[in-house]
Amino acid sequence: MKKLSIALLFLATACTKQLDKEPQGSVFTGSLQTPENTDAMVIAAYSALGNDHWSTPYTTMWAYGSVRGGDAYKGGAGTGDQPDVDAYEQFSSNRVDIGESDGTWYRLYIGVARCNTALQLIEAMDPSAYPQQTQRLAEVRFLRAHFYFILKVLFNHIPWIDETIPKPEYDTISNRSFSSDELWSKIADDFRFAADNLPVTQTQAGRVTKGAAQAYLAKTLLYQAYTQDDNNNVTGTNQTLLAQVNTLCDSVINSGQYSLFADFADNFLSQFDNGPESVFAIQFSKADQTPEGRVDAGAGLDYPMDAEYGCCGFHQPSYDLVNAFQTGSDGLPLLDTYNGSNVAGAGDFKTSTFDPRLDHTVAIPGHPYKYQHNLIFQSAYCRDPATYNGFMSLKEVVAYNDPTFVKYPPFMSSSKNWQVIRYADVLLMKAEALIEMGQQDLALPLINQVRTRAAASTALLTQPDGSATSNYGMTTYQPGVNCTWTQDYARKALRFERRLEFAMEGYHFFDLVRWGVAADVINTYFATEKGRTPHLGSAHFTKNRDEYLPIPQNQINYSKGLYKQNPGW
Amino acid sequence: MKKLLFMLGCLILLLPNIHAQSRPVTGTVTDEDGKPLAGATVQVNGTKTTVTTDDQGRFSIEAVKGQTLKISFVGDQPMEILVGNKTVYSVQLKAQAGNMNEVVITGYTAEKKKDLTGAVSVVKMSEIQNIPDGNPVKALQGRVPGMTVTSDGSLNGAVTVRMRGQTTLNISSDPLYIIDGIPTQRGLQEINQDDVESIQVLKDASAATIYGSRAAAGVVIVTTKSGKNGVKHIDFDASTSLQLYTTKIHVLNTEQHAKAYWQAVVNDDRFGPNVSNPYDPSVTNGIFTYDWNHDYTNPVLNKINIPEYIDAAHTMKASNTNWFNEVSHPSILQQYNLSLSNGTANGTSFLSVSYRDDQGIIKKTRSQKVTVRANLDYNFFNGRLKVGEDLTGSYFKDAQLPIGDIVSLSIIENPVIPVHTVDGGWGGPVAGMDDRHNPVRLIYDNDQNNNNFARVLSSTYAQLELLPGLRFKTAFDVDYAGDYYRSLLKPYQSGFLSSTITQVGTSFDYQGSLTWQNLLTYDVRFHQHSLNLLAGQEYIDNHNQNFNGSAQGLALADINYAYLSEGTSNILVNGGGEADALLSYFGKANYSYQDKYLLSATLRRDGSSKFGSNNRYAYFPAASLGWRISQEKFMLGTAKVLSDLKLRASWGQTGNQSIPAYATYSLYQSIYATDLTWGQSAGSAYDINGAGTGTLPSGFTSTQTGNPDLKWETTTQTNVGIDFGFFNNALTGAADAYVKKTTNILLNPPYLGVLGEGGNEWINGASLENKGIELSLSYTKSLSRDLTLTVSGNIAHNALKITYLPNDAIIGYPGNGTTYTIIGHSPNTYFGWVAQGIFKTEDEVNNSATQPGKGLGRIRYADLNNDGVVDNNDQEYIGKADPDFTYGLNTTIRFKDFDFAFFFQGVKGGLVSNGFKYLTDFTSQAPGSNWGSRVLSAWTPENPGSNIPALTMTNNNNEGRSSTYYLESGSYLKLRNVELGYNLKNALSRYKFYKARIYVQAANLLRFKSKSFTGPDPEIPGSAYPIPLIATLGVNLTF
Repeated sequence: MKKLSIALLFLATACTKQLDKEPQGSVFTGSLQTPENTDAMVIAAYSALGNDHWSTPYTTMWAYGSVRGGDAYKGGAGTGDQPDVDAYEQFSSNRVDIGESDGTWYRLYIGVARCNTALQLIEAMDPSAYPQQTQRLAEVRFLRAHFYFILKVLFNHIPWIDETIPKPEYDTISNRSFSSDELWSKIADDFRFAADNLPVTQTQAGRVTKGAAQAYLAKTLLYQAYTQDDNNNVTGTNQTLLAQVNTLCDSVINSGQYSLFADFADNFLSQFDNGPESVFAIQFSKADQTPEGRVDAGAGLDYPMDAEYGCCGFHQPSYDLVNAFQTGSDGLPLLDTYNGSNVAGAGDFKTSTFDPRLDHTVAIPGHPYKYQHNLIFQSAYCRDPATYNGFMSLKEVVAYNDPTFVKYPPFMSSSKNWQVIRYADVLLMKAEALIEMGQQDLALPLINQVRTRAAASTALLTQPDGSATSNYGMTTYQPGVNCTWTQDYARKALRFERRLEFAMEGYHFFDLVRWGVAADVINTYFATEKGRTPHLGSAHFTKNRDEYLPIPQNQINYSKGLYKQNPGW
Repeated sequence: MKKLLFMLGCLILLLPNIHAQSRPVTGTVTDEDGKPLAGATVQVNGTKTTVTTDDQGRFSIEAVKGQTLKISFVGDQPMEILVGNKTVYSVQLKAQAGNMNEVVITGYTAEKKKDLTGAVSVVKMSEIQNIPDGNPVKALQGRVPGMTVTSDGSLNGAVTVRMRGQTTLNISSDPLYIIDGIPTQRGLQEINQDDVESIQVLKDASAATIYGSRAAAGVVIVTTKSGKNGVKHIDFDASTSLQLYTTKIHVLNTEQHAKAYWQAVVNDDRFGPNVSNPYDPSVTNGIFTYDWNHDYTNPVLNKINIPEYIDAAHTMKASNTNWFNEVSHPSILQQYNLSLSNGTANGTSFLSVSYRDDQGIIKKTRSQKVTVRANLDYNFFNGRLKVGEDLTGSYFKDAQLPIGDIVSLSIIENPVIPVHTVDGGWGGPVAGMDDRHNPVRLIYDNDQNNNNFARVLSSTYAQLELLPGLRFKTAFDVDYAGDYYRSLLKPYQSGFLSSTITQVGTSFDYQGSLTWQNLLTYDVRFHQHSLNLLAGQEYIDNHNQNFNGSAQGLALADINYAYLSEGTSNILVNGGGEADALLSYFGKANYSYQDKYLLSATLRRDGSSKFGSNNRYAYFPAASLGWRISQEKFMLGTAKVLSDLKLRASWGQTGNQSIPAYATYSLYQSIYATDLTWGQSAGSAYDINGAGTGTLPSGFTSTQTGNPDLKWETTTQTNVGIDFGFFNNALTGAADAYVKKTTNILLNPPYLGVLGEGGNEWINGASLENKGIELSLSYTKSLSRDLTLTVSGNIAHNALKITYLPNDAIIGYPGNGTTYTIIGHSPNTYFGWVAQGIFKTEDEVNNSATQPGKGLGRIRYADLNNDGVVDNNDQEYIGKADPDFTYGLNTTIRFKDFDFAFFFQGVKGGLVSNGFKYLTDFTSQAPGSNWGSRVLSAWTPENPGSNIPALTMTNNNNEGRSSTYYLESGSYLKLRNVELGYNLKNALSRYKFYKARIYVQAANLLRFKSKSFTGPDPEIPGSAYPIPLIATLGVNLTF
């Protein structure tokens, strides 16, 4: 009995330690505080740039910028396939509890959180042990501002969390702690710090540069310059900010680092990744020891339904967009009448003249798909041509034999970079600022620079027999010859130019909201487009509501009502 | 000399009982079928003189005239005979459902049923012996009141067991299993059903508390067979079953599918979204063209033109494929079991080997199982020391097919697609269809992939009697389970779907558990007091590790070639591990006075490594009382009618710590990348060099927020019960009522988005309440010498509700978080819109609330808040899934050499969400898929009586939303099992069979469901693998 008691006692003491089980395969926050691990956390923040997905495509922004802007239909297998994006497209059926809105919100805040963790680590480093401290701060604040920028244009009123706020206090930060304008200033502050502290060039092509920061700062200030009231109405333009946009664009232009590609196509071909037009691009990779490669997964639904690809037929250019590429006999876009007749529906690209950017942007039945003479696109390659139409998008995809193409059944994408800001945008941002400052004459050569390049970009646009794919014909704006260059006309021309240049790149809806014309433009689009396709029967844009997505109901609930819903919702 | 030795042996054995007049009394003990009973106990009443019967049921015992012999056998009603002048007696024992002396294992020790004060159900193994489920737990569905077992028909698929409702809100509400004393939460799928001697289910806290941690959701105690002293047996069981797929959804054939498509497009143009601008009077989906009158006021379809080929390359002929038939087949299930048992006073042994081969009703879903068992014990020092070992090993080989995909694809794959192309390749989708795989290809391209699973479960113990009544037992248990899985992904071309990837994957994992138990028991009886004391200690160490790798670029798509070393590209490795431990001390005291007044008290102290050092330990107490009223003198008068009556009451607490091992820590992990096919990457690598390829620099990802204050979740249960027996226990039963409250429930609620990844944090918070009643009754009647009838049934009701949730967790449950919160409701409550039929006239459309997408033939949703708009604010709680009652009824009839049994099981009340309805009732929610045949009777102006929404190709009305349209009655009644057996013993009397029986049996033969349920099987609404009908022919032989 005594022996037994001793044995039990021994067990008792020996086993107390047995209940200490250390986590396996993990690290604690404290162990991250080394120069190497701090740099690694900076990489993790960069990684969030490209961690998007077709269900929350915050890289290509196709669902938020193209579909909502009337550039594109959702596509896919009918309106029930990815119904959240259908709700975005119709506006009338958008809801506060759409899962994709909540998912995108969360994914973007993951990016913010990674940045804040990295910033805390960087700031805690001793500069003597960590000489790259300032530059890393600048890089990460750039990245944070990028995530906030997307959140801002999607949701408008967002909670601002930075590295100074301890996690337990996150639930005290409202999405109305700062006004809309103050939020723009916060984002601008981050970009400004980055612009002031980043080098002009980086040996590692994926790291952000001074030029990228200046361009993104210009973009931010341009958005901020169009002042909005509490109901999303644009009330005017802030001339001081516009002047800053102009100056910042000048710095980028004069840096000597950037230029337009000779051919518009090069922006969307993998072999030109990180070329001279790329101001800020998200780096993707393959054969990189990840399961499928770090590919542009946000574009994973955007390939045609033929044997070389096989999924999923999303992101289909609208008739309206295709018609916009038609040019008049003066070589200019039909600014007011482009959509009067549905040349796209007629499928005739030979009688009228077209902007060559059409065949870089839109896959058209009978035209080579992505410049491939051995793959002539057919409307049957669309998932559901009866519900939508026979077009597909081209910019975010690659040829099936492109070295960056990756199939991860049932989806596919590529490791081709995605440009968030390209040099053409810098030129057109400067032009926009000048026009809004009444200096439209200075804007003219910038717009024409973009058009000249576009007009010259026909080398790849041939049929297998060598003939031109479509009937191309476009020229520059020539005041007195083919136009009268007033401020109003210049504004209209600039806005049309942006649409053509950046079509399907996820810009258009945000441009419309910035300019304060979203409700008019989109409801006009619906009125016409409804008659051409069966899927927009109940689509409607509600002014003073649909300029922004609702704050996801989940987030309002999780914040226990601290977050306030956007107007109109 | 021999005789002398024998006499001497008798002298030694029977020393205290020597009487001058004693003489040998011999006899035979048989069961109610007349079979000899080996191992029955024969005791001279009031003495220690005990013998057991031999193989032939014979016994020989020294007794004196006038003494009483008490003959008992587990599961049978004991019998007493008065020793008279005869020296040879034959005794026939009767099976007794309400046997009060039945021994029940309750928490490290055994008690007699009459002494129980907790809610314990004993499963009659004879009833489930031949059910070919492959998992003893599945056979318990409907047999134990208050215990619900749910599973689909998949081979070795998950089985969910809920005891008295749902005890917690986090992942694990599964009971704790104790297999030969070894605690495990793996379930019983790896235990050979034929090896099981008994299964007992502990439902209330007083019974379960002794198992403390992990016992909150009940305890299932399984004891396997062991040899019996003096018994030598060989048992052989064999059965062959035919399995059939009987619950298919009716889907459309090619012609019907084409017609439904036309109808949908015409509807859209006629009164749907395109009424103002008819979109496409020519109607084609790219494959079919239609000859119709183009008259929208009275559309008439004359002819559907189906082309010879569906693809431009003319490789796929338009077909009329019945995909169900292509993926399924009637299949064979075989089971064999051989066991040997032997026993002497020095020890016993039991050996068994079993083999089970289930071909599955989905082609190639084969599962093969081999189990071996060796239960051995040795007695030393006149039985004062017993050393033993219970060992079982099992090996499973399971085909790894994407079953869920295959079954759902057999519904949604277009019938016009051929299985094969004209040149023998795989058929597949063409433009205009969904990107769905050919399910037959999925079967054959995965045919080579098998998972290999092995488990060793071993308990080695020694029990020493230190003093009379004082025993010390130590047991060391080893439970190791591991998987090895090597898979080959083949390239394919199937319609527009194709892949060129040849990939090998290999994974290993093991889950290990070591348990050391030390028990001290003391049993003492003085005068009319009886006391049993138990003190014990238990240490459990769980650990698991896994690694997996994959590589692409194999030169051959052959499983015999497919090893990791042969991969040339995309070489990936992953691995991880986890460990946790439990340390517990416990004590229990059972006291009874005059066998009438019973008292039991338990205290357990549990420590878990999953909690921080400040909250690691918790105490779980329990107490119970019993009063055997029928033993009271004042009941003597009614004893003939009321043969047994006991009142029970208990209260106690149990714990739960089913959370990840390291929930108290805030952690970062070096996650390089994650699979991004279906979800976002959580990786931290980035191509910072812009090289587009190569090894990438990477960082760390926050994976969780730690909560150092986590503590045990506690379930407090109060139970009152009554056990009764009438007419000499011909009618017995038990009724229980309970209240079970769980507090400090461990939750991992959704969290504020700004926290980013790793914002997930386990908290203690919610409270849950289950209230219920259970009743079981059993009646046995010998109608004649040859005919015996036994009917037993049970019924249980449980009501579940959440009584408290922290604010942070509310939105994780159905409701809107403000006006509708789940508090006060069952967590299994549906939240959504109320569908009020469909709009059938323009007037109805125009005079209803604003509803985006409304129109003729569309579902009308109720404007619950009467604000004129149907929106997010018009949702409410629209039903709950929990059934009102669950019940089972078993009937056994014995007539001469025949036995016949049938078992019904059912569920009453509760709504299920018919997960297939989006396919069976709509063309718009999966427009590229095939649909169910109900779409053919959808509403049109010409078919005004229909309540199925008009067909449309656009889902403008968001009809996939959670609504009452999908909720249907979950009630069902199933004839789970019917069995007819014939005892061959008389027919084969020439052979020395101890037992010989053949039987035919059918499982899931009949199914009754509510008319309101439009799917195939309300038991598994929307589930992948159907529950098959199984017809079995089998034999049980004992030599």
